[in-house]
Amino acid sequence: MNLTQDQRVYTPEQVANLLQLSKKTVYDLISRGEIIAKRVGKVYRIPTSSLSFVFTGLDFDLYQADKEDRKQLGKIERALSKMRSKL
Amino acid sequence: MTPTPTVFVDSDVIISSLLSQAGAAYLLLHQKNIKLFISNLSLRESGMVADKLNIPKDKFDNLVQKRVHMVKLKETPKELKIKYKNYVLDLNDAHIVAGSILAKVNFLISYNIRDFKVDKIKTDLGIICLTPGEFLQYLRSL
Repeated sequence: MNLTQDQRVYTPEQVANLLQLSKKTVYDLISRGEIIAKRVGKVYRIPTSSLSFVFTGLDFDLYQADKEDRKQLGKIERALSKMRSKL
Repeated sequence: MTPTPTVFVDSDVIISSLLSQAGAAYLLLHQKNIKLFISNLSLRESGMVADKLNIPKDKFDNLVQKRVHMVKLKETPKELKIKYKNYVLDLNDAHIVAGSILAKVNFLISYNIRDFKVDKIKTDLGIICLTPGEFLQYLRSL
């Protein structure tokens, strides 16, 4: 799943179900800034990136940092594998 | 008070941290309140890989000197492969498990988790294998 390109948004109720929390707790988390949401009129919508942990096991910033390393991992593993076989 | 986590860092993580400052490996290597280890063998191989990937030697040396502790494996790579063959899927990774045991760490951090028998390592040795991102996530839960 590519979270940076995922355009989906969720309602607080859907997020409550996903995280197995009450709706009230989700609203509390939104008001404390622990879940980043967009207020649209009188309701909230929550982007996929705010739910990174649910989908990837990592907070969004760590998910991005992990992805950054994986860009160069192929060449690192190839070089390392060659060196290890020579040890 | 939570004890300071001790971590053996695989060479792919060392090299990743030198290639990008925006990656999880860099964040891990620059975390405070954790103790990082490598072995003499992983130092040798990561030095050779750094050289091959044109990472400046002073950058590599600086990281190793300032951020990691080193344990010295006395056995030869061949002996280590025999001794730790049950913990790895690729025998060439045996020295990483050996280094983790010698350093008495709680965690082995690698991007190559698939080549380690993580359940057996956890059960027999009490060492948890994670990627850098997963370990950083764990630190946030403390």
